[in-house]
Amino acid sequence: MSHSHKPGESGADLPHAAPTVEEITDFEVLEIAVRELAIEHGLFTAEDHRRFTEWTESIGPAAGSRLVAKAWTDPAFKARVLDDAVKACKEIGIDWAEPTGFGTPSDYMNLRVLEDTPTLHHVIVCTLCSCYPRPLLGMSPEWYRTTNYRRRLVRWPRQVLAEFGLIIPPEVEVRVEDSNQKCRFMVMPMRPEGTDSWTEEQLAEIVTRDCMIGVALPRPGRTADVHPVHKARHPVQE
Amino acid sequence: MPKSKPPEKVRPPADAARFKVGDRVRVKDMPNLFYSRTQMYIRGVVGTIAECTYKDIIPEDEAFNRDGRIEQYYIVRFRQKDLWPEYQFENDTLQTESPERWLEPAD
Repeated sequence: MSHSHKPGESGADLPHAAPTVEEITDFEVLEIAVRELAIEHGLFTAEDHRRFTEWTESIGPAAGSRLVAKAWTDPAFKARVLDDAVKACKEIGIDWAEPTGFGTPSDYMNLRVLEDTPTLHHVIVCTLCSCYPRPLLGMSPEWYRTTNYRRRLVRWPRQVLAEFGLIIPPEVEVRVEDSNQKCRFMVMPMRPEGTDSWTEEQLAEIVTRDCMIGVALPRPGRTADVHPVHKARHPVQE
Repeated sequence: MPKSKPPEKVRPPADAARFKVGDRVRVKDMPNLFYSRTQMYIRGVVGTIAECTYKDIIPEDEAFNRDGRIEQYYIVRFRQKDLWPEYQFENDTLQTESPERWLEPAD
């Protein structure tokens, strides 16, 4: 079939320009449709929805950092965290039932805190989509929800961790936790050397979001999640 | 926040848990009828029950309605070498959750 066109001919089979925005998924369309119906039927208002979104997006990983720091300094609290994490969260002011009385959608009030040991390292993923302990850690980072991370972490965990700059010695067991039902998981890393005299507040500063996902380890001086920058081998010449 | 109706808490009791911690189980390879949360990569693979977690509605029913069949859920631990033939590290493991219907005794 010819692709040449004379003026005035139908342009129906002209090549299209590439779309400039990502396509919206079926589930995004469904969410908008259900939300608009709910607003139309008076289940909640658009302002309620905006406030809930604002509230959800305002949760950060600080509560998780506090939980780990407190567990490091208080063995009795650590035991309670490992025994019933949702209950222990209340001691640091996090109620998994908020704001609805039964939790946020998809956070089912089943939390397991995975304790790292000298011979065991945990890392979490949700291969189905994006299960994440949001009441403690807030919204997941964008990379956590990518298919790239999800499909590769379960199969090549050590290689993916290495891309984050984390090399786990071969003698240490790497345990991937694929959370895809109703349990949510968070990693409790080991307390690093050189922090013996630190306060809970100082300790919380080094327990960053990535440490609680399991793609980084806490260490003195590391207070932010900065990923290694791989420079281009053949950078664009000015 | 508007007060929404909480999910129905009164549910018919599930049968007693069929498996206990340490039991070896094989993940069934059943057809996906409309909806499943059982990943293909664990189908047919043998693992060990790491924890009996809770009883709740199965995803196959929950996807369509709040009412449905209640089952025991488990955290199952797999050896990575059993999931991926080319896996290089002997001791590495992977855990994931499953409702009872997807599991059968391995021995």
